Amino acid sequence: MSIVRDLANVAKGMSVTFGEIFEPTTVENYPDGPGPTRGARMEARYRGRHVLQRDENGLEKCVACFLCAAACPSNCIYIEAAENTDEKRISSAERYARVYNIDYNRCIFCGYCVEACPTDAITHGHEFELASLNATTMVMRKEDMLAPMPGSPAKLDTTSR
Amino acid sequence: MPTLVSHPEEVRIVSSRFGQGAAEIDRYLELGGYQSVRKAIDQGPDWIIAQMKASNLRGRGGAGFPTGMKWSFVPKQSAKPKYVLVNGDESEPGTCKDHLIFLHDPHAVIEGTIIAGLAIGAKMGFIYLRGEYRYLLKIMEKAIADAYAKGFLGKGIFGSQFDFEVVSQTGAGAYEVGEESALMESLEGKRGVPRIKPPFPAVVGLYGGPTVINNAETIATVPHIFRIGAEEYAKIGSERNGGTRLFCVSGHAARNGVYELPMGYNLKRLIYEVAGGIRDGRPLKAVVPGGSSTPVLLPNEIDIGLDFDQVGKAGSMLGSGGVVVLDDTVCMVDFALRTIAFYQHESCGWCIPCREGTDWLKKTLTRLHAGAGEMRDIDNVRYLAENMLGRTFCPLGDAAAMPTIAFVKKFRQEFEDHLDGKPCPHARHTVPELAAV
Amino acid sequence: MADVTFTVDGRQLTAPAGTLVIEACRAAGIEIPAFCYYPGLSLQAACRMCLVRIEKMPKLQTACTTPVGEGMVIATETDEIKQARKSMLELLLANHPLDCPVCDAGGECELQDMTFKYGAGGSKFTDIKNHRDEQQWSPVVFFDRPRCILCYRCVRVCNEGMDVAALGIQFRNSGAVIAPNDITSLDCEQCGMCIDLCPVGALTSDTYRYKTRPWELTHVGTICTHCGDGCKTTLGARREENGMQIVRGDNRDKSGMNGDFLCVKGRYAFDFANNPERLTQPLVRQPDGKLAPARWEDAIALVARRFREIREERGGAAMGVIGSTRITNEEAYLLQKFARGPLQTANIDHHRTTDYPGFVKALGGETAHFGSIADALTAPAILLVGGDPTEEHPLLAWNLRTNFRHNGSRIYIANHRAIKLEHQAKATLRISYGGYADLVRSLAASDDASLPAETAHFRDALRAEQNLLIVFGAELRGDAIAPLIQFGLSLPAAKFACLGDFANSRGAMDMGLHPAFTPGYQAVSTVGLSLPQMMDAAGRNELAALYVVGDDPVGRLGLAPESLRNTFLVVQDMFLTATAQVADVVLPSASLYEKSGTVTNTYGDLQPVKKAADTTGVRSDLELIIRIADQMGEDIRALVPFGRGERGDMGQSRGVQSGEADRHAVWLAAHNLEPKLSPFDPDALLDEIQRLVPGYDVDRFALMAGEPQPVRVAAGSNFPVSTGSESIQPANDTLFTSGTLGQYSEKLTEVNRFQAEKTLVAAG
Repeated sequence: MSIVRDLANVAKGMSVTFGEIFEPTTVENYPDGPGPTRGARMEARYRGRHVLQRDENGLEKCVACFLCAAACPSNCIYIEAAENTDEKRISSAERYARVYNIDYNRCIFCGYCVEACPTDAITHGHEFELASLNATTMVMRKEDMLAPMPGSPAKLDTTSR
Repeated sequence: MPTLVSHPEEVRIVSSRFGQGAAEIDRYLELGGYQSVRKAIDQGPDWIIAQMKASNLRGRGGAGFPTGMKWSFVPKQSAKPKYVLVNGDESEPGTCKDHLIFLHDPHAVIEGTIIAGLAIGAKMGFIYLRGEYRYLLKIMEKAIADAYAKGFLGKGIFGSQFDFEVVSQTGAGAYEVGEESALMESLEGKRGVPRIKPPFPAVVGLYGGPTVINNAETIATVPHIFRIGAEEYAKIGSERNGGTRLFCVSGHAARNGVYELPMGYNLKRLIYEVAGGIRDGRPLKAVVPGGSSTPVLLPNEIDIGLDFDQVGKAGSMLGSGGVVVLDDTVCMVDFALRTIAFYQHESCGWCIPCREGTDWLKKTLTRLHAGAGEMRDIDNVRYLAENMLGRTFCPLGDAAAMPTIAFVKKFRQEFEDHLDGKPCPHARHTVPELAAV
Repeated sequence: MADVTFTVDGRQLTAPAGTLVIEACRAAGIEIPAFCYYPGLSLQAACRMCLVRIEKMPKLQTACTTPVGEGMVIATETDEIKQARKSMLELLLANHPLDCPVCDAGGECELQDMTFKYGAGGSKFTDIKNHRDEQQWSPVVFFDRPRCILCYRCVRVCNEGMDVAALGIQFRNSGAVIAPNDITSLDCEQCGMCIDLCPVGALTSDTYRYKTRPWELTHVGTICTHCGDGCKTTLGARREENGMQIVRGDNRDKSGMNGDFLCVKGRYAFDFANNPERLTQPLVRQPDGKLAPARWEDAIALVARRFREIREERGGAAMGVIGSTRITNEEAYLLQKFARGPLQTANIDHHRTTDYPGFVKALGGETAHFGSIADALTAPAILLVGGDPTEEHPLLAWNLRTNFRHNGSRIYIANHRAIKLEHQAKATLRISYGGYADLVRSLAASDDASLPAETAHFRDALRAEQNLLIVFGAELRGDAIAPLIQFGLSLPAAKFACLGDFANSRGAMDMGLHPAFTPGYQAVSTVGLSLPQMMDAAGRNELAALYVVGDDPVGRLGLAPESLRNTFLVVQDMFLTATAQVADVVLPSASLYEKSGTVTNTYGDLQPVKKAADTTGVRSDLELIIRIADQMGEDIRALVPFGRGERGDMGQSRGVQSGEADRHAVWLAAHNLEPKLSPFDPDALLDEIQRLVPGYDVDRFALMAGEPQPVRVAAGSNFPVSTGSESIQPANDTLFTSGTLGQYSEKLTEVNRFQAEKTLVAAG
């Protein structure tokens, strides 16, 4: 009796195992999958490398208000501000960020900078392949993070929102 | 020249010389002019002030402060010269009484000014006319020159040992300088912005000297009080509201015009009897009892006596006596907008609630009237007005807030009819031009 | 005045009768918000933020205009008041642009703070805001009109504080706007007080606008390097490629003796430090006759070697040292010690702008009669002999105006020209340009019937004063000072102030940068050459070496550059001045904003200077002097008392400073101070100055806490007959110039040009 009961228990247990075998897989085939993301699929709100957005006219949304830097708990954002002139207009407001660096050695991807931004200029992109053997390459400049100009062909990368 | 109206129930005291050519000094003398001031010179300041108190005369500018009491506040001794100031900056929409006084009886103003000067011991008086009354300045200046020529002004007036000078001056067209301290600033050549009170003008006024400032109608009434006697004058009006008053009826009444009636005269009777009822026999919709700054009254609220106390009890104010009659063709949102647009334009910009409040109200009411409003805008209009009320630097903010609150309170349905892009539900937009001369 | 007792929010308080409710509440720690109320300015009652409920009064009352009364019951925290404040802010924000992210005031905006504390969570306003374009009123003042909340602080400070009346109001209702009375631009002293007082970001300064945010700056309170008044200026610096760059100057915490005030120089003329012409590496003259960059080690070694050679070959008398009026007391002290010690020369001087030795000599031991700048704010009567404080001493002028406005002080002015302060004067005496000496003689002399009636009247009015502050400048020198002092001492209580031109003119003199005096006006036995004499000697090839620290004698005196051809010239300066251009070695030095120490203003108020900024590549004069001395093989411990003990053990019999270290250790112990560990620590020299220089032994704690400490120097014994007043050369600066340094401030130059053009236009 006990053998039968034991076999029944084994069969019951294994039924879960065999049942799962035929379920679709939940593991991503990264990095060998298809497409530009090589199989990685991101949730919309995933917090990856930052993107500095532009407005519909192609001007930078960032007005160098320093609120992201102030909100940053790891103090990894460095900004130098400058005034827009009629000849050289970078952002739509009076001020723009002449220098905007994020030190990814220190960034903890908490998203406070995105929360703090009054102009929705800084957002989290989906790029996550940031590992490097050289720490100096981990400081990203504004040019590295800026969204492409509207109308220009979208880059085949994962940085877009 | 505007035509004068009359009605048998009028008690003509201030207006007794209207239309009789009293602007000419000889005619004025024929009509018994400059007799009161002679009496005042003989009797002396204490007697004058006692008479003024006995007459129960209350200021005709709008606040209704007892005139005799005001004069008695001026200190007897003062290091700085004292002044008498006549406030003829009559700018309240719906009010056009001082205009007639300057036009028909300028000498009464001069005579009243001299009496006030005698009462407080001033040697100089200023008659300040509204900027838009520049054409009346000629009449006033001629009257003053005539009085000087007769020796009624200048050194040793009427052969007495008293000296008294009178100067007339116009403003530059600002409602705000109707406020007494703003008027002083304007007269001193500065921007017409009110002063911080205290000190009150009776202590520190024009050029820093003690100053009595009275409405032109008040001052023009003074000689008549001495002519007919203070007790007699007090008897004419109702309790604590001595004498008569010039009521300016405008709007949709059948016979618009200025009527002199005893204080306490029934408002309903004024509209339906004296002014001949509503034009074309249409129904009455609302009455503004005392100039545009006073809260509007509904037809069922007008069976009251026109004096400071009774109108106050009815939730409005006697104000400057400008009775605006509105019939059923009037869109009250439009009327509110017009009223606020006026105060927005005339706000001096000094304090935040008035400067920003009137601007905001005007923007919102414009949108509401155009049918682009929302329900919360109506609440917001009332919220803004209630938060301006009593918190502004001078009464102009209250003047804008009080009628606005009444409009929303009493005609809320009309505001709601304008919501959701609906066109103005009143077929005809016939807000009467407010009587502004 | 008698105290009255009243109740605020249930707390019983007392205050002197006449105190405004807002002041009485603030003194008791009860905050009443206000925009338009500003202590010291006239009342406005325009912002309606300070409304409080006072029992028995029908309406809410403004706390800023209501004086406290006996038994008054005041409520400041009821729901009614909260609603009043909230609605007032809602109304204010109706037309106020919400551009806080770019607004310069963001982070230190009173409207922001108030909205945060008292305002509504959201906005009911849905219509279009009124907009007007931004205006530029002057090289320094910009006005963003929609941001203005019309508190009229700017108008009032310009009218009342500055007595300039450059601002007024245009239009009315919500279109009312602050505008220059001169229509499009400001006809004023460009002091920037309007910007400073602006509670929002409506008035912004050209030097700071849109550059950064206030919380990103480091704020250091130090002393202005320009005129001799010694205002505290708080410098805001941000990190830049070449160090810490100053982007604004203000008086953020109002803690200095200048209170609210700063002039155009204190506020904007810091930008010389960021001038691209700034020297950042040493220059050495090459065999081809050109100056070329060199390594620090080589340049200093060269200077040290040549100094040593010349001292040994031709003696110290063939060497000269010229100091500066803008270096710290510690540097000036060290420089004269270096000259008189290692260089063995008595030829030491600086650019003298007024006769401090003559003043000290005339005052003798009466040190209680030294006036300070604070006296100008409280003295009931002031006599101003010569000078134009509005141009040359803006803080003195501000204090005199404030004193007149608040206390009705009597100002007496004797001048050869009309000056602006005459607006406030009780009596003005116009005298001839050379008539100052005669005037003061007639003041001191017994009654003289031949005196013109006007002068006699002026004199009699002054003699009737009990408590007089007497202020004079370079118009009185040498023997001419004595009669004035004599006159003042005949009054019951007079104080004196002598006006010199630069930030540390007084300190340089006190520290003995003078051929006849060691620090503290102690006479020397052998008087060296004065500055003009040194330049003459150089022209005659009698000066083998000249060490110029922060001065430009060639440019200032208009000397021919060839006259210094045969002199080994070492210049320490920020810029390649006319003198530096003919130097053999130029060492780039730090500005007063880039180092620490102390300075003494012209009234004798000692104040600490703190390092606010940094320019890569420059070194402080203190460090350079020490490094040169070190390279010369000198014992640095003899120059700078640092470390413990060794000097006392070693060299008690050597040199002019023998035994110093022991006494120093005793002094330090007595004052409970530690020996300083670094020779480059200016405090080590301050220790020695405090120990040795008469009058400088002030309260160290109070000094370091930032309170100006009065320095009272008594004339030393055997004071020489002549104080060398013939070589005094006043700078004659205006509000918009500042000696040689002013030329390197782009903003000051721009303002100066702007003012000149305005004057030209006004003159047609």
